[in-house]
Order: sequence, then C-alpha cells, then structure tokens
Amino acid sequence: MNKQLLGVIDATTVHDDLKELSIHRSVAAIPFGGRYRLIDFILSNMVNSGIQSVAIFPKFQYRSLMDHLGSGRNWDLNRKRDGLFFFPAPNFDKHYTGIGTLDHFADNIDFFERATQEYALISNSYTVFNMDFQPLLDWHIKSGCDITEVQKEGQSLGIYLVKKTLLMDLITTRNETGYSNMRDVATDHDSQFHLCYYNFEGYASMVDTIENYFRTSMDLMKPDVWKELFTKDRPILTKVKDEPPTRYDVDASVKNSMVANGGMIEGTVENSIIARGVKIGKGTVIRNCIIMQKTQINENCLLDSVIVDKDAKIEAGTVITAPAHSPAVIRKGSVQGVGSTS
Amino acid sequence: MLLAGGKGSRLYSLTKNLAKPAVPFGGKYRIIDFPLSNCTNSGIHTVGVLTQYQPLLLNSYIGIGSAWDLDRKDGGVTVLPPYAESSEVKWYSGTASAIFQNLNYLDQYNPEYVLILSGDHIYKMNYELMLNYHIEKGADVTISVIEVPWEETNRFGIMNTDADFKVTEFEEKPAVAKNNLASMGIYIFKWSVLREYLIRDDQNPNSSHDFGKDIIPLLIQENMKLFAYPFKGYWKDVGTVQSLWEANMDLLDKECELNLFDHSWRIYSVNPNQPPQYICPEGEVSESLVNEGCKIEGEVSRTVVFQGVTVKKGAVVKETVIMPDAVIGHNCVIERAIVSPGVYVPDGTIIKPGESAHDITLVSEETIGELQSN
Repeated sequence: MNKQLLGVIDATTVHDDLKELSIHRSVAAIPFGGRYRLIDFILSNMVNSGIQSVAIFPKFQYRSLMDHLGSGRNWDLNRKRDGLFFFPAPNFDKHYTGIGTLDHFADNIDFFERATQEYALISNSYTVFNMDFQPLLDWHIKSGCDITEVQKEGQSLGIYLVKKTLLMDLITTRNETGYSNMRDVATDHDSQFHLCYYNFEGYASMVDTIENYFRTSMDLMKPDVWKELFTKDRPILTKVKDEPPTRYDVDASVKNSMVANGGMIEGTVENSIIARGVKIGKGTVIRNCIIMQKTQINENCLLDSVIVDKDAKIEAGTVITAPAHSPAVIRKGSVQGVGSTS
Repeated sequence: MLLAGGKGSRLYSLTKNLAKPAVPFGGKYRIIDFPLSNCTNSGIHTVGVLTQYQPLLLNSYIGIGSAWDLDRKDGGVTVLPPYAESSEVKWYSGTASAIFQNLNYLDQYNPEYVLILSGDHIYKMNYELMLNYHIEKGADVTISVIEVPWEETNRFGIMNTDADFKVTEFEEKPAVAKNNLASMGIYIFKWSVLREYLIRDDQNPNSSHDFGKDIIPLLIQENMKLFAYPFKGYWKDVGTVQSLWEANMDLLDKECELNLFDHSWRIYSVNPNQPPQYICPEGEVSESLVNEGCKIEGEVSRTVVFQGVTVKKGAVVKETVIMPDAVIGHNCVIERAIVSPGVYVPDGTIIKPGESAHDITLVSEETIGELQSN
C-alpha cells in the first residue's frame, strides 16, 4: 500500500463559464456521466493509487459536495487512521486563484504537520481521467525532482507532486516568495527548485466551460474513452444509490446512450446521457442531451442538445432545441412548459 | 431471526456454490435483500441471520449489514453459523433447531417478541403491521398467511382457522385442503413461548425440529393462541428454475404489485459501483430491466439483465434472465432461459424453449457445451 502519498484536492475553483451548472454547487460536485460527480475521478484515482489520506479544500457552495462525499465510505476512506478530511475556507474574502492556494493550506497547517506521508499530490477537482499515480511518484523520485507538474500534450493538468516538507516550506514562506499557489511555483523558471513535467498519455479533460462539459460527456460514448475511464481494476467510485435497474418500456428506443439506474424509459433516446432515476415519457425524443438525476420529461417532448439539470420537470409537448456547439441548460428544479426555446 | 441456510436444490447449479438466499434476483438483488430490506424498513434493527449451506458468499455479502443500514452499535446484523460445543458439532437439523442453538443470542437481547423469517421468498411486507396485529390479538404466535389458488394448496402448509383467524389446524401439503390460506414461513412469537417450546422440542427425540412439522402442531395441540395474519400483496417462493424465471418476468409487468421503484419501501442491496449501462448504436432494448455496467450491442426484449453483462452484436435475447457478468456472444439466439452468473455463451449459440411452455433452460458452465451441440 502506498503510505507515502498524501492526497490534496483543491475544490475551491469557480468557473464563470460553468455558472449555469454551479449556482447551487461547487464545480467539484457537478454531476457527470449519469451517476458521477466531477470530483469522483480524482478521488477514485487517488484511492486506486493506494492513497489513504485525502484532504479536500472547498470554498463556496460545498453543501452538495459534503453530502456526496459523506464519511468517505464509498471510497473506502472512512478510516480510523487517515481517511477523508474537509478544510472549508475560513473566510470568503480572500481571493483564491490557481490550484493549491497556499493561504488556504496555511490556515490548516496543523494537518500538514501531522500527516505522516512523505509526499503530497495536489490536484484540481474537475478533471475527467483515470490515472495511476504510483508511476508518477516513482518517476518523480528517480528523476530527483522537487516539484512535478502533470501535463497532457504540454498543457498543465493542474496536478502537482511535491515532498511534504517542501510544501510546508512553500506555505510558511509564501509572503517572502510571493508564490500564492502551486501553479506559481511550477511556472517560475527562475526558481531554485528542480521543476519537472510528467506527461500523462491517457484521456484527460478539464471541465471548465459548458461546451467542454458537453463535449467531455459525449466522449464517454466513444468506446476507447469508455474503456479507458471505466476499468475493472481501477474503478471510478461514487456515492451509491439504491436505485432499481432501469426499466425500458415496450415502446422504448435507445441508441448510443449511457443510462444509469432507476430510470423509466418509454420514449426515444439517442446520443445522450441519462442519469439515475430519470423518467422519459412516451413519444418523447431525446437527442444529444445530458439529463441529470430525477428529472422527469413527460410525453411527446423533443429535446436536442440540451443539458437538463437535476429534478427538473419538462411538461408534455415541450420542444427545446439548441445548436450542437452551444447546448441549452435547463436549471436544477425548474419546470419547463410548452413552447420554451433557447 | 432470518433463516438463510437453505440449499435450494431445485435451483440446480445456481446453488452449487451459494445458498438459496444468495441467488441473484431482479437485475441487481439477491433474494435475501427482500427480507433484510423489509426488516430495516419495518424498523427492525436487530437481525440474526442463520447460515449453514455454502455460507461464504452470503457471509461476505451481508458483511456488517451496512447495505441495509443494519451496521448498528446496538443490535445490527449478526451472522449465526452452526458451531461446535465441547462434546459435538451441532449442525442445524431443522428450522427450530437452528433457532434453538442460538438461544444465547436471543437471551442477550431478551426481546418481547421474536420474528422468524425465511430467506427464500420475494415480497415486500411491513412486519410492524403484523406485530401490531399480534399484540391486538393477544396471540402467542402469529403466522403470516396468503391466499393461494385452491388447485395449488397441496404444495403449501395450510392453516385452517375460525372466523376470527384463530388457527385451529395446520396441514402440511394436504391432498384435499379445507382452506386456501398458506403459511408464508413468517412467524411472530412471544419470546417466552418460543423459548419454552424450543427447549421442549430439543428434548423430544422424535422431533424433526421443524417449525411447520413440530412446533406449530404442538402449540395448536396444547391450545396456545395462534393467529393467522392474512397478507395481501406479491409473495413468491423462487425455489425452482421455473418460479425464479417467472418472478423475474413478473417485474417486467408495469402493474406488478412488487414495485421496485417505490422510494418509500426501497429494496436495498450491495451496490456494485459500475458505470452506467451503455446501449450501443446497434443495440435495441424493450420491455426490459437493465442494470449498470452492461453493454448492449444486440437486441434484448422482455429480459432482466444484471450488472456487468455484455450482449454482443447480432445476438437476440427474449424472455430471459441474464445474471451478473455473463456474456452473450455474437449472433446468439436465446429465448426463455436463465443464464448463470459469469457464463460465456459462445458466438452463434441457439437456445430455444423445448416442447413444453414450462421449459426454462438453465444455462450454466456445466450445460453450455451440451446446449451448443444441440
């Protein structure tokens, strides 16, 4: 077991271009792929890499995130020793930028002092990927790096590996050095540190806009992406729900779609992602859509290129279509009647 | 006290390596999820599960009971296997002996009432209502009964009652029945009465130590107060391949009384945490239940598909139950069958029902070779 690595997830990020989906929740808690939240990917990757202690640093709107993670049981992080820790930002006035805000860490320096792990992996909360961090750690040690940034095709993935003692130094000297976050450290080429870049070759998508969210969701329907993200030996774990299997009616027609449990499907679904507990009525056609948890779409609707957030209700006969490059978003809990277009 | 030691020998290879209560059901559950969920939904948080036959899977499935919210500081779920005493190992020789050998467990809680359940049936029931009835009637024992078709009374233990549902006679599988109220194998006992009769039964060398055959008849004979509790709703013994298949097919009927979608009475189970099901561009699914982790490239209708199943291109599956992690190869045609967990059905296999409409094919590792050559 990998007792060397401490997991640190920065869940403070706010993306203005994801606002429609993050009014009531942090970006980390945005539903994804029919049954997951964005944070499930990094959290499962950490757990699957043997990390047994994970600290989450949230800021705004973290109720749904806390509810989702609970005691950490679904990730096997409900431990007596180590496990899952939450460190909400003590004040909202401080402005955080980048990944791994040292100010936020400084407010919880005790945690870092107490941690027995030799290295810390600091990551953003909104990247969809499946990565084993063990080879990264081995490479970091072998290459004699001080700070390693994980990249994909030359672009930062907002993931940093650093010795815990160095991290503590960075935290305590932040006022002198001027580094406010891990990105600052990793991009300062004049620094005294040995900066390294580790290339991740697999699928990775940082979800920071609606378009990007939509495209990444649709990527799940590509067999090679699906196969890579959802492997048996490194499963993406999430909060389980006791939903029954999905029921397909005699008139149901479903093609090229991902469907989670607890659904009742009576209509036509194509190229879409249907989350847990969704109802799709007779005569309704859903194309290129992302339908989130417990949304109810009544009879004879037509939805094309729409993201419908949780608990929404689409009344019978409603038509909502949007251009494929700019999907419409129906907000959580809203009721849409006949004739609404966007 | 949940009796979960049954072998279920008429389920053949399905119960070769696991006890009947662990047999998969309904696309995601195991049979034992139903009584365990009923317990937790009825507010019963102290449950002893008596295991004997092939207990490995069942024990690990139950674990500490967290799936059913039965991981409690006080009470919770306790798995009770047979154990050795200083002189001998005492196997559970009958339902009554299983409870008798766990008197210690019951004594430590010293409850007022004990509910005895079997892990073999599919049903949703509020045991609290039954307990209220038991208290109202001032009964020593209350036995839950269900009306069965008269032509099937010879398959059940039949309770003959007076107009007030007081039990006057118990007949095991009568050739000519006087009543059609069948025992569901669900009993509520006054603990003091249960304790006394279990001890007496243990000392009787002629007893088969069975509730239906020994304890209940003796209670009636001694004029104890036994009442039948008439249950209305879905209840099915899934003890045969045919009845297991039928009960799965029942779920496809939208009007089925066993509503798995009712959030006020959820059936809990150990969730496997698999990705959503993927229906491919070529796939077709109708009138079916499909669980997570499945990949459907073929045509599936009137079928119950458990987690992790793959149905490959060109395959046509009808009126079938496909258990977890099975793979249906390219261009297979399968009708009216139960495909056992993890079985790989090779490309092009044709499985059609026999002459009789009652023939359900059980597809297992053992039979797949034979089925292919036919």
